Amino acid sequence: MFYLTQMLGKPVVDAAGETAGTISDIAIATGEVFPRVTSLAFLGPDKTPFMLSWRKYVAAVDDDHVALNVNSADLRFSYLQPDEILLHRDLLNKQIVDTQGMKVVRVNDLKLSESRNQLRLLGAEVGARGILRGLAPWLERGVDRAMRVFGKGLPENLIAWNYMDLLDRDLSHVQLSVTHKRLHELHPADVADVLEQLSAAQRARVFEHLDNTQAALAVAELEDEFQADVIDDLGSQRASDILEMMDPDDAADVIGDLPYDKAEALLRLMGVEESGTIRRLLGYREKTAGGIMTPELTTVTEEMSLEQVIGHLREEAADSETIYYIYVVEGDMHLTGVISLRDLVVSEPHTLVGDIVHRDVFTVNVDDDQEDVAELMSKYDLLAMPVVDETGKLLGIVTVDDALDVMEEESAEDLALATGSSRSFEASDAWSWLGRKSGWVTVWAVLGIGATLLLSLFTTTLQEIVAVVFFVPLVIRLAEEISSHSLAVLIEAGDPEDRPPFLQRLLVDVLVGFGLGVVSALIAFGMLEALGESFDVAVAVGGAVGGTVLVTTAIGTLVPYLALKKDGSGWRAPSVLFSTGLAAIGLAVYLLLAAYLKTNVHL
Amino acid sequence: MPKLKADKTRLLAVLAVIGPGIIAASAGNDSGGISTYSVAGARYGYKMLWMMVLMTPAFIIIQEMAGRMGAVTGKGFAALIRERFGVRPTFVAMLLLLGSTAATTVAEFAGVAAALELFGVSRLFSVPIAAVVVWLLVVRGSYRNVEKVLLALSSVFIAYVVSAFLAKPDWLAVGQAMVVPSVVPEAGFIALAIGLTGTTIAPWMQFLVQSNIVDKGTSIKEWRIARFDVMAGALVANIVAIFIIITTGAVLHPAGIAITDAGQAAEALAPLAGSYATMLFAIGLLAASVLSAAVLPLTASYAICEAFGWESGLDRDWSEAPIFNGLYTFVIFLAAAVILIPGLDLIAIMLVSQVVNGMMLPFLLIFMMVIINDRRIMGRHVNGKFHNVLAWGTIVVAIALTVLLLGMTVLGFG
Repeated sequence: MFYLTQMLGKPVVDAAGETAGTISDIAIATGEVFPRVTSLAFLGPDKTPFMLSWRKYVAAVDDDHVALNVNSADLRFSYLQPDEILLHRDLLNKQIVDTQGMKVVRVNDLKLSESRNQLRLLGAEVGARGILRGLAPWLERGVDRAMRVFGKGLPENLIAWNYMDLLDRDLSHVQLSVTHKRLHELHPADVADVLEQLSAAQRARVFEHLDNTQAALAVAELEDEFQADVIDDLGSQRASDILEMMDPDDAADVIGDLPYDKAEALLRLMGVEESGTIRRLLGYREKTAGGIMTPELTTVTEEMSLEQVIGHLREEAADSETIYYIYVVEGDMHLTGVISLRDLVVSEPHTLVGDIVHRDVFTVNVDDDQEDVAELMSKYDLLAMPVVDETGKLLGIVTVDDALDVMEEESAEDLALATGSSRSFEASDAWSWLGRKSGWVTVWAVLGIGATLLLSLFTTTLQEIVAVVFFVPLVIRLAEEISSHSLAVLIEAGDPEDRPPFLQRLLVDVLVGFGLGVVSALIAFGMLEALGESFDVAVAVGGAVGGTVLVTTAIGTLVPYLALKKDGSGWRAPSVLFSTGLAAIGLAVYLLLAAYLKTNVHL
Repeated sequence: MPKLKADKTRLLAVLAVIGPGIIAASAGNDSGGISTYSVAGARYGYKMLWMMVLMTPAFIIIQEMAGRMGAVTGKGFAALIRERFGVRPTFVAMLLLLGSTAATTVAEFAGVAAALELFGVSRLFSVPIAAVVVWLLVVRGSYRNVEKVLLALSSVFIAYVVSAFLAKPDWLAVGQAMVVPSVVPEAGFIALAIGLTGTTIAPWMQFLVQSNIVDKGTSIKEWRIARFDVMAGALVANIVAIFIIITTGAVLHPAGIAITDAGQAAEALAPLAGSYATMLFAIGLLAASVLSAAVLPLTASYAICEAFGWESGLDRDWSEAPIFNGLYTFVIFLAAAVILIPGLDLIAIMLVSQVVNGMMLPFLLIFMMVIINDRRIMGRHVNGKFHNVLAWGTIVVAIALTVLLLGMTVLGFG
């Protein structure tokens, strides 16, 4: 693996071991999926630029230098061909945009790979990793190690070259090739790969270009952790339309991962039949045959002739996930046998199903472990496996694509176990848990230190009126209460339209804050008087408590209210940050007020 | 009447592209700027006016170059630096930009505090409220609304012109000082000259005007009209600056009143030029500070996200553009919090921000000159000879002044 930023500036050594210059750029031939490196540009003595054919002259390339296969004197220089582009000059640091000219990311580095003596461009590194590497390689390694402590290394964020597109060599922008035209040509699995690379906003924009069928196929191919997110981000109507188009087992998977309210809302928007099917599937436990099966299958009875079966298939097949096996049932879906598509095709049209049916059918129970199901299918080379309940009633089939997914999933888990990394897996989970938690611990710690510093600024005040300290915990606690209360009000209201009008709320909050402030000021004043503090001190601290209550109430209720985006997407900024911030503000206001009142008010 | 209709379309075309230049230049006459101008007038009378006159064409041309880069490439200054010079110089430039922006934003809140204290409002109330107001202005308003508010605010700068007339200066002496260069041979004069350069041609203004042009989607065809907006904005900003120097030069200098910031200048005006002059001066200071406190953090946020390819834009929420939203929020509230620290040396902070600005300027201008003369980037819109000579002249002077200041600081003058 090579990175462009690390190759630039490395020496070019000729066959005699003499240094001919330093690498300044690398050219690739466009038009291939993963383009070959075709030319090497380097700066010779006196910064003279040279360019030569990579194929003809480069013998080897490693992390430290590029070795040539002839002496400097025997080199024949070449020129940039029309189909060649220079990685450093034309691609590095450039903005990658999508079709609407929206900014997406910047090319922070380019990743190349050597295969069969050829260097090929894999794609553009667009994440933080590339920025850090460009700044200094030790920085990248350091941050990566630091992040590993918290269980997750610095991720590499690569956009494969085959998704990038140069606009007729106008090199000011590199275009991401997820254009509406090209999107339709990509396989749904590739579309899914692209979608997983994008942020929520860009994903939504890509979805605008997909019709429901394509969207359904792409969603089905997404990794599990993205599916629910993507559906969650789409409008309810569109989401339910897309889910309806999906195979019911895939749709049930996605819906199973959604929050209950959203899932219910989507199911209600669907057709009765589709939602019924999905609801039934949701009833089966995860990781069992029931959880991965699809209820859409074609059944026939023994009395039908093969001709009738074919006619039946023509009508029904559209709704079936597979037609390679046709299941034979009697009565209320009681499975009695199976015929294959092959049997159907090679037999005479007038033969009856009962004459060719295989009665020794492999079945699995609806509660069987999904891994066992996949193993059975693999062992007997089956394209589909019927799923039955205790009474032998046919409920659905597990198709081979779902079985493959299961095996991939399970083998990843097994690998983790086998390599003994399961322990470190858990440990790293614990670390990342700690990391997530300790993020807030850190915020608290920083704010705590800040509060201490804040207090240290008021040492004179504090020395003069020790009574100020009595109410510090109260002020902090109060700010937390107010913030959680106001957030709860907003979250409960949910829809922006349901919220009380702004002015009314403003009035109510200020009145409530004022009332609260007066009451707490009187209590504080009374307490201090009772404790025998001087009248001035009692007035100052009481006034400060009252003023702080009023200010924190006002800020605490109004800021989140105003800051919420109108799209009703909910409260996005972390609530902990808000409550800690409010506590800090409350403390600062309290101390400043106390100091101010003590020095300026004398009664 | 086709003539009238043509005029009307033309007027609409002009109105459509107007704004970015005026806002960028007005934001430049911020709290730090007003302080520097006031001090220049109070301490040296009209003696520094000729510098402002000389700096005006340089400022106009630099703003024009920044705007032109935006219109031709459709990219911000930070993006062009990244694409032309790579990640390391960009990183250093963005770090400097963030530092100088944060320091200047502190100065803006100091301006808010000073202006409102003239009306008897304690900074304990004015600064937190101003911070929340500025933040909401940025977060809640769409860019268009923010721009309208800012345009309205910038019209308050007329206050300084009125103040100058109320001060009844000796117009003949003013005219003479504008054309006849005079230098007071002392370290303080040179330090103030650097401050004057740094605040008149503040580096972040180039980022701002260019990103505004890009945001408006001004094409190179519309640029013919938009450039008048940019150049007129720069001109008006400098005229306002000149009037501030005239005001304090006419009133405070003859009376021998020494001041260190704009708040004192406004206060000192009252007994000599009447309380209306003070009020106008204070209102101008408040508007300038609020305007710049909103614009500056936003500018740095845009530039940094653009340079590193992070999602940015006022229409993006926190989950979509966390760094963009985080950066300006952080800068606004950090700056406001710093002001509330009792016993803080605000003058020192203002000075540091101006020195950082002054030191950044030559580097950024050199970046700009390389980019704007690169035919691969600018096509046929590269600089003409006139532009190049004037811009390089400015760079040389800025570098000379910075070296001079550093030398004086190291040797213990000033």
